[in-house]
Order: sequence, then structure tokens, then C-alpha cells
Amino acid sequence: MMVQNNEKNPVLVVGGGVAGIIAAFDLAEMGRTVHLVDSAPLLGGQVAKLDKIYPTDHCAFCPLWTDIKKVQEHHRVIVHTTSKVTDITQDADGYNVVIVCDPPAIDESLCIFCGRCVDTCTKGAVRPLWAHAYPPAYFIDRQLCAECGDCVDVCPTEAINLNRTEVELFLAVDEVIWATGFKEADLSTLPEFGMGTHPDVMTSLEFEEWIAEAGVNKGTITRKVNGAVPKNIAFIQCVGARDQRMLPYCSAVCCMHALKQAQWVKRRNPLIDCTILYTDLRTVGRGYNEYSLRELHESAITFIRGRPGLIHPLPTGDAIAIKYENTLTQTREIAKFDMVVLNGNLQTSPARKAADSQHIPPLNGEGFVDTMQDEIPRYACGFNLEPADIAESVIQASSAAMKVTIKEELQK
Amino acid sequence: MADITVYLCKCFGEIAATVDLEIVRAGLGDNPSVSSAEIVDSLCLNRDLETMAHQIREGVTQKVLIAACSSLARGDRIVRGLVHRGVRRTDIHLVDIREGCAWIHAGDPDGATGKAERLIDMGLAHLENVQTSDDVSVKINNEVMVIGAGPAGLAAATSLARSGITVHVIERAPHPGGMLRLVSRLYPKDSAASSRLEPYLDELERNPLITVYPRAKLQSIRGYTGNYKIRLSSGDDEHNLSPGAVIIASGAKVLLPDGLFRYGEVANVISQMELETRFRKGAVATKNAVFIQCVGARCQDRPYCSTICCPASIKNAARLKAENPVANVFVIHRDIMMPGSVLEGYYRHVMAQGVRFIRCEKDRPPEIIGTDRIEAVSVYDAVTGSTRTIDADLAVLSTPLIPNDDNRRIAELLGLQLDRYGFFREIYPMHPVETRMDGVFICGSARWPVSSDVAITQGEAAAMKAAALLARSQAAASDFSRVPGRKFGHARVNVETCSGCGNCMAVCPFDAIRLQKVEGKYSHVSRVNKMRCKACGNCVSVCPNGTMQMPEHNYLSVGEMIRRAF
Repeated sequence: MMVQNNEKNPVLVVGGGVAGIIAAFDLAEMGRTVHLVDSAPLLGGQVAKLDKIYPTDHCAFCPLWTDIKKVQEHHRVIVHTTSKVTDITQDADGYNVVIVCDPPAIDESLCIFCGRCVDTCTKGAVRPLWAHAYPPAYFIDRQLCAECGDCVDVCPTEAINLNRTEVELFLAVDEVIWATGFKEADLSTLPEFGMGTHPDVMTSLEFEEWIAEAGVNKGTITRKVNGAVPKNIAFIQCVGARDQRMLPYCSAVCCMHALKQAQWVKRRNPLIDCTILYTDLRTVGRGYNEYSLRELHESAITFIRGRPGLIHPLPTGDAIAIKYENTLTQTREIAKFDMVVLNGNLQTSPARKAADSQHIPPLNGEGFVDTMQDEIPRYACGFNLEPADIAESVIQASSAAMKVTIKEELQK
Repeated sequence: MADITVYLCKCFGEIAATVDLEIVRAGLGDNPSVSSAEIVDSLCLNRDLETMAHQIREGVTQKVLIAACSSLARGDRIVRGLVHRGVRRTDIHLVDIREGCAWIHAGDPDGATGKAERLIDMGLAHLENVQTSDDVSVKINNEVMVIGAGPAGLAAATSLARSGITVHVIERAPHPGGMLRLVSRLYPKDSAASSRLEPYLDELERNPLITVYPRAKLQSIRGYTGNYKIRLSSGDDEHNLSPGAVIIASGAKVLLPDGLFRYGEVANVISQMELETRFRKGAVATKNAVFIQCVGARCQDRPYCSTICCPASIKNAARLKAENPVANVFVIHRDIMMPGSVLEGYYRHVMAQGVRFIRCEKDRPPEIIGTDRIEAVSVYDAVTGSTRTIDADLAVLSTPLIPNDDNRRIAELLGLQLDRYGFFREIYPMHPVETRMDGVFICGSARWPVSSDVAITQGEAAAMKAAALLARSQAAASDFSRVPGRKFGHARVNVETCSGCGNCMAVCPFDAIRLQKVEGKYSHVSRVNKMRCKACGNCVSVCPNGTMQMPEHNYLSVGEMIRRAF
């Protein structure tokens, strides 16, 4: 049990994705002490797992890494990874927060990334967290680990300890900024999209990982089921989104995300046909609409307006049938695809639900932070405030940091 | 002079198993610049770091060459650890002999050892010839100039003033408010635009830290981050300001639909802004209204989507419907752009109110029917596949926002980039309100078309970045590095040999070089503004006689590195 003190007007930022990182950095530059909490072992959130970002087509990793490094090295930012907020209460001075840190078995500050633990492990439990993790370090998947201790013996720097226990941390902070981001919603309640019926039906984040240049396939596009090159890939938009049964809202980022993925598929293998089944193609940022035109003309991607009624593998298992109505030609069609990418099922992250106090920010009916309810100012940024891409999340983050700064100034 | 100590890291056998470090060390014995070479277990663990730093502090050695892993692995921590212990960054050089040598040549130990020797030799060449830029420190003025008093500019100005910073707001128009003065109500809450504007106007009145310069025109901008020198006229008055940072919130203007959909030719075919004007004057009575989207947008000339036209039309369609519930209100669109939770919810709400949506196709735009007055709109409904004729007594053309004419001038004055349409460009999506000039920030529709809500958010974000810059009263040129610890100083001119050709000035993307008259010299001489220089090296590559140099990567060091590589 530890208590932090000697801090100047500390702020807690929950979530270490792009929004959380920028909010933390801005406040630290303003002289505030910032506690940045993330449940993952590394900062970066969902963006760290992306291969490429739109509309620049750059890798996600380099610019993100620069900002992660700035935050990690900032003397006023205290980073709590593998940590969760378990309780928050508010009093006259601010918030009292309980954070539980479950330290990873491999101490990242000692890991030299030699990989001896990976070679030793018979369970496949040791792996890098994701392709572009910074700082590079291995992690042990506790679900797979048999706790045999072989890795402990081979580690040259004594970085591994399988018996680390949870640490509870009590913080008193002036303000809390919620930046818990999004996760992919479970699609099992919408069986017509065929999630889980075939290995080649995957969500867009799974597909991103599957085709990543730094990932398992080194950027080549293959089918999961047999390793063959797919003839065609269908990208299905608004899966679970703009759908009253699941997520009524538009997830805002998925149109561009699908355009980006289709484009990268075509760049890496022009022989693969890509089809995007969309409802509205929402390309509202700088260069976004032009990006979709580039798709149309240069990469020859097929656009079909329609949402499938059924996605199901053929009995032979070698292809996936999609039944849909093309609403612009008013024709009902059934088409065969080798791979299907489901896009849109992004919902706010449940990380916040761990805290069961009444001072959790109130959520609106769609799961987003309601900053205006009950007259108490709340601060949120990124996808848990409103579906947002990188640029929008970062803008919201700086805006939230400004609001916290002003509140502090007004109280003086 | 033998003043370099070489540390060879075994990395617990990761390096030593392939590269024969003893051979490498023996080879270094002949090198006159090497005072000693040591083989250590693991440099990145604190114990060895401390020893290294101690030796440097005690004067045992001046410079260190570290042959270990790449900077992305743990090399950076070694360097950082040494800097933290008081070693100058330019006295340290890191050579990667793990990832790029021992690991990828694991099957060829002799080759790997040879490569490691050459890599280390190159590193020594660098350390022997490296020079250090002189850093410069400037005072950061605790003032910000905000260009434009629309929602973005007002949000930025009031945020800054509330956090104790003096703000100068310059506005072309006679009154602050920008586009908020022209529209009557705001989506999605259907609140009055004036109620959004008033708190800001109150703050302008009340807060002594804010000065507004109406009818302003920028005359000149000089200076650099932390200390800009600005001359402007406001009405008949002249002002000189010296803000530490500049926020551009100059907004955008609405495209007039001249020549499109018979605008100006048939009565009651109006633009969205004309409808707003009618609303501000009172109720607009209509029985059959049609909104046409993407007028002059997402087309050949303007391939972009202007973001705000779909929600603006939907807002006004709902209002017409509310004022006359039996009216037929149609929105003819290509894709309905209502991303996110709030806008999509608003779209559903308005649809439920009875506003009807017709999807058309880009190649089959709707047609206005009528001789003097609009009588109907004929449209191909893409979803039913049939052409319909809709009775209409009002057609509203929804046009995009286009950049202001003076964006180019502001960009030239400040050394900024515009995108292909003329909006201000950010440096990178991760830094969306920052520009390539430190201390100049962009927000609102000057950056990219946005609604007033988003403009306010962006104004606050830009204010945050400016406030963070101003939070330090003093800043060194080396502080403005986007990659921590990676700034390679700045370009240096040899005044004796500079011929004043101006090549460097022409290629500098950061407007950091000026030609200056020097006493006792016939020609002008280049002068580098260290606060603006980002050490890109463009000037070095065009300098005809090697006068312009990057001290940390000067031609001696780079040339010698290349020579020793082969």
C-alpha cells in the first residue's frame, strides 16, 4: 500500500491511448503532476495496434512512439501501466482514487528482448504484446502460462518473476480526465454477420493485425483457413453500428478504416478484388473524400450500397457466401468471397465499469460520457466522449486539458 | 588525440555469441583516438552505466562510443542514462551491433565481427569530427495573438485569458462573432446562436487581459517562437504587438452557388446562408421545401466534403417542418454525412419528425423546374430507381465552406503550408492544431471546415498548446525538438567564406535564413535564426562552397564515416 504526495495539483488521466497521452502531456507541460493509468502493459491504446493510419498512409507507430516517449520521460507524468481504477470518491478537495496495479511477470525495465524465454516456453505463453510495442519487451500470457519457471531460469537479467502480486495505490487528485477509448463489441448477438462461423470472417482490427507489415504475415495477404492468396475480400460496413439492435450510433472511423485497408490490400496484391458494402460513405475530414476517390479510380475497388442479410460459409468451407441487396440497383444478390472483414462494431471501453462509485462520469444511453449531467464538470476526450479518429481525439484531449487548467485558475 | 573510450557490450551473449569482441577490442588498440576499450556484460543495467558516467566525470575519458543494441531497443536508455548523469549528448555515440549486426548475421560470425569493426570505426570518425551547435535561449513573451474572432478564436482567446495570459484578438470585421453572427440556430440542440456567442462577448468585455482589434489588417510579421513582432492596423490606428505565440482562427467563407442549379435565375432558389438570413428575420413559410446537398462540393473542382453542410441542412429542414408541420421537406443528398453519436442521433430524430431524404447519384443531379419561380424539383431517386418530380416552393442549395482569400497572405507572413485548396495544414494528425512553425497554431474552419461546436473545441486545444509553450518563461532552441533528445542543433554559417548567394535562404522550409550586411564585407552574409532552424540540412546540401554546415553532422564527420565504411 502506497500513498503519493508532494505533487502539484495532480490530475488523473484514465486511459493511455492517443487522447490520454496528449492530455497528460499538455497538463504536465502546464506544471501539473499527472497520473496516467492504462490497463495494458504499454501505452498507445488501439492506435499502437494499427499497421497504417489514414489519410497519410503512414505507419501508425513512428509518430505515436515519439509522443509515448515524451510522456514516459516527462518528469511530471507518472505512468501506471497494467493498472485499473477500482474506486473513485469525491470530496471538497477533489477525488480520492484507488488504483490496482497487476505488475507483469516480466519487468520491462530489465527485459533485453533476447527471446530466450520465448524459446523455452512450451505453452507459447511468452510473446511481444503487439508488433510495434515500445519499449520492446516480452509479456507472459497468464492464461496460457503453466508456471513451470523455465523462463525464470533462462532469463539473463533476472527480469522474470512469476509471483508478483497486485499493488494497491491510493491517489488524491484534483481532477479526472476520462480517455478510456473503445473496444470491439461482441457480434454473437448478430448471427447474420457470421462472426465465428469461419476463420476468414474477421473484424477489422483482427484483419489489421493479420495483414500488418510487422505482423505474423509480414504484410502479405493470405487466407487464415489455408494460407492461400484470397481471390476477393468483402469489407462490410456498419456491422452492429447504425443498428437499433446493438449500437444506434455511427462509429465515424470505419468508412475510412475500410478504405485504407482495401487500398493496402490492392497495393500489396493488385490481383485481389476488394468490395466495400456500405450504407453511407462518410468521408468528412481533410483529404478523406479524395481518399475514397483515389480508391475508386486507381485501385478499382467495387462499392456496393447495401448491408448483408446473411454471411455464411459454403458447406465445402472454401468460401463465404454473402447475401445482400444492392440498394442502388434494387437487385438481390448472393456473392462468394474468400475473406470477409466486419467493420463498425466499436463501442466505448468497459474499463470504466471497474469503478463502481457514484462519481464515475455518467454515461448517456449510447454509452458515451455525459459531461453535462448533474452540473458537476466532467472531463472526457477521445472515443469514450464521441466516436472520433486520431486527430479528433487529440483535439478533444487538448481541449479537456485546457478546461482542467482553466478550472484550476478560476479557483485561485 | 586519444580521448575516446569504447565500451563493447556483450549483452549477455546476445552480441558476444556472434561478434568476437576480443578481436574488435584488439583492432581498436592501433587507433590513435581511442584511449581504451572495455568489454562489459550489459551496459543498460545501472551498475555499468554508473561506472561509465563516473569515468567521464573523473576526466578519465572525454567521449564515449557505445557499441550495444539499437536506440529503439535499449540503446536510447543507455544514452539517456548517461545524459542524466551529466554527460554531454554530443560526447556520446551509439553504434548498433546487436539487431543490425549480431542478430541478422548470426550464421556468419566472421562477417559480423568485420561489420562490427567497421561500424565502430565509423562511429569513431563521427566522434573525432563532431562539433556542437551553440544553443540559444530566449524569453517567451506571455502574450498570444489570435487571428479571427469567430467561435474558434473566441474560445481560444477566453481560455487563454482565463489562464492568465494576455490575448490580442484581431478581427477583420467591425464586430467579433464570425459565422455565429450569420446563423440563427445551432445543431444538434437547436439552441440560438446568440446564446452560444454571448458568454464569449461578455468575457471580451469583462476580462482585462483581452484586447480586441476590430477592422484589423496584418501589416507584417517577424520574429520567432516566443517573440513574434507584429505590426497591424485597426481602423485608422497602428499597433505593434510582440506575442509569444500566434493562433490562426480566421475561419472560412461559404461558396456562393453562382451558376449552379439555376441560382439567381429562378426565384426562391436560395443558398443555405440566405435561408439563415430569412430565419433571423422571422418565420419562413413554406409548403414544399427541397434541400440540395453537395452543391459545388465532392465534384471535379472541389473534391472534398465540407463536413458541415449535411447537419446544417438537416437542422434547417427540421425547423421548416416544425414551423409548418404539414409542409413537405425533402433533403436530396449523395451520402448523408452525420458521423458519430450526436449527429447520427440528430439525423434519426429529424427523420422521425417527418423530414424525408432522397438519395441521388453524382452523375444524375436534381433539376430545378419552373420559369420565373421554382415550381418543382425533378430528381432520380437512387434507392427506388425512379425519377420523381417533387413540388417545391423553395429550394435551398447547400454549398461547402471554402478557404478565405487572405489565407495565402497569412501563410506567407508566418511561413506556413496550405493544403491544395487553401486551408491551413497541420503538421501531422497526431498534432492536429500545430503547424510546422513552433508557436503558430491553427483551429476552426481556417484549418478545415467544422461546426461551431468543434471549432470551439479546437480553439481550446490550440489555446492549450499555446499556454503550454508560454508556461516556460525562458526556452532554448533545443527545446523545440519533436523527437526528444534528437535535435541536431542548427545550421552554422562560416562568415568568412559565405558569398551571399542566397541558395540556402531559398530552400529553407522554416524561413530561418536571412541575408545580412556585415561590416567590412562586400557581399551579404547568411544568418541563421536558431529558434526557427529545425536542422533539416537543406541549406547544407545547396551551399556551393561548404560554408553552411550542421555542426553535429558536418562534412568532415559524415565524409570520414562514409570513407571508413568501405
